Amino acid sequence: MVSYMNKDKAIRQRAVFGAGRSFSRPAGRFVLPLLAAWVLILLSFSAVFAAQPENSPQPEYVPQGAGLQPSLNQRFLAPVGPAAYQVQTVMAEPLGESLYKRELHASVEHNLSYLPFMQVVDPRAVPGGTLLGSALGEEIDFERFRISRTDNLLTARWVDEHKVEMRVYEVLEGKFIFGAGFEVPDAAAVSGVADEFCAQYMEALIGRGDFFRSMLACSKSGGPRKSDIWVVKPTGGDLRQITNIPGHAISPTWSHDGRFIVFGHIDERSHALGVWDAFTNNLQRLRFPGNTVIGPCFMPDNKVAVSLSDGRNPSIFLLDRDFKKEKTLVSSWAIDVSPSVDASGERMVYTSSRLGNPHIFMTNLKTGETVKVSNEGKYNTDPCISPDGTLVVFARQMGEGHRIFAHDLRTGQEQQISFGPGSDEQPEFAPDSYFIAFTSTRAGSKKIYLTTRHGGEAKPVNTGAGEAAFPAWGARRR
Amino acid sequence: MNKVFRGFLLTLLVSGLLALAGCGGGEQVKPQPTPGGDAGGSVITHDQAVALLKNNPIYFAFDRYDLDSAARADLQAKADLLNKYTDIKVQISGHCDSRGTDEYNLALGERRARAAYDYLLMLGVKPAQLSTHSYGKMYPAVQGNTEAAWNKNRRDEFNVGY
Repeated sequence: MVSYMNKDKAIRQRAVFGAGRSFSRPAGRFVLPLLAAWVLILLSFSAVFAAQPENSPQPEYVPQGAGLQPSLNQRFLAPVGPAAYQVQTVMAEPLGESLYKRELHASVEHNLSYLPFMQVVDPRAVPGGTLLGSALGEEIDFERFRISRTDNLLTARWVDEHKVEMRVYEVLEGKFIFGAGFEVPDAAAVSGVADEFCAQYMEALIGRGDFFRSMLACSKSGGPRKSDIWVVKPTGGDLRQITNIPGHAISPTWSHDGRFIVFGHIDERSHALGVWDAFTNNLQRLRFPGNTVIGPCFMPDNKVAVSLSDGRNPSIFLLDRDFKKEKTLVSSWAIDVSPSVDASGERMVYTSSRLGNPHIFMTNLKTGETVKVSNEGKYNTDPCISPDGTLVVFARQMGEGHRIFAHDLRTGQEQQISFGPGSDEQPEFAPDSYFIAFTSTRAGSKKIYLTTRHGGEAKPVNTGAGEAAFPAWGARRR
Repeated sequence: MNKVFRGFLLTLLVSGLLALAGCGGGEQVKPQPTPGGDAGGSVITHDQAVALLKNNPIYFAFDRYDLDSAARADLQAKADLLNKYTDIKVQISGHCDSRGTDEYNLALGERRARAAYDYLLMLGVKPAQLSTHSYGKMYPAVQGNTEAAWNKNRRDEFNVGY
């Protein structure tokens, strides 16, 4: 799949989109009506915000990209709270002819269904239907989309069998928001094109498109005494087995450059650190003194934090880039496991039983300062800090199983974001600090689900037959 | 072998055989060795020692890895066997019930295995005879989500031959 629009933007934009359309137009001009709608929606949530102190810290994160909808940006990365307004998006009938046009249309619709802030409008709700005479904004009759209360209109025009132009318009004023052209050499490229279009669309809306460019690693059961590492797109598809070795491969973690997946491996004799190299497809099994290897976590600099036995207790050690012990990060008289580090590499959260019961702690790796994060409950485990360092999610044991909670490090507020049934465990933040994958037994056996930092309805990830657990996000290699 | 110790081993043997007999169906009978029992003339063979070590787990309370009096008595009996048959190597594997989360349970299982390991060393067993391993909650001894099942799953197993 090639995004031919991106090869030479200045020329291509004019050639493909013509009519004076330019990607470099100030994006904010196109979204004022939608922004106004956002203001109304946010006002309707005033009761929620009113409950917070007036001087509540605002999100410090400044999204990259166009920043088209600042209010949406703020809700996207806001402290924990209810899911916000949904952008009503309608997909016009694709224009032109190609063998792949139906498949691409369905693939984009499938992708958009994963965005909790997006709702794809039923075409039957649009008076006169969604078949357009043209994909160019000045030739589109937006009135019927306004009547159906649509916010955004997506168009696709197939230039020929293997080239498609895709555009997004803001309906209220008929303004062009975003567009791109893609080459689709064969059917296998369709889902990749849908992913890249949705990534760019998400970037245009909220500044982050990482979700559609990411992969999930997980541990899939291969029988009663075997599990292996697999990878899959968070939207399903491209499911692939990475390891096939006797024993249990669990707790995968992905290096930030996407090259390595490191995991814990347990066979009848020992624990070990499994290392898979995507460059060479080589697999190593590294043992450590003390025969304990639990919950590795890649640091931003490609070093690894992992619990090893120091001869007394499982403590958290730093491994260098050759996966050799470099130094102790956290050690106490008790159990210290499940490290998770933010994108700066400065803050590390982990589970510790140093106060008796397992609780979540955070250590500043620069200063050594340690604070207790979880204050409620008697059994809090599986912590994960958001890459932007604002939230910690973890599993709390409740009467009927574990539930996922989100703790806002800026306000100290805590909110339950999963509600079972069954047991919800192993929450893992996506690189965008918005999506969260977790393991749940809500459908009987262990499967992986997606939710967001705001909670809301969990969506299953299609990992095929068999149990799946230990989700871990990674960047898709190109 | 002094009289008292022989009595103790006889009691241990009977308890172990009862436990083996119970494996076919009902709940395992947990041996309660009583050092100082009746004197007897029987000698535990190597194979019997292996069976006794393998078939008598020790148990723990929820989220705990300290050894209670029953566990310490069991370990005393195991230490006697290991000190007698120094060619026997045992892997102590720590297990947990299904209520905790995987990674914490792996650490807890390690602590449980380590607790037995340290106690056996204190009783004179050679380090070369022992190793530890944790499976967390991967391999429950008893299926189910009942208190009885959980009680049986929070355990150390003693796997001979490692």
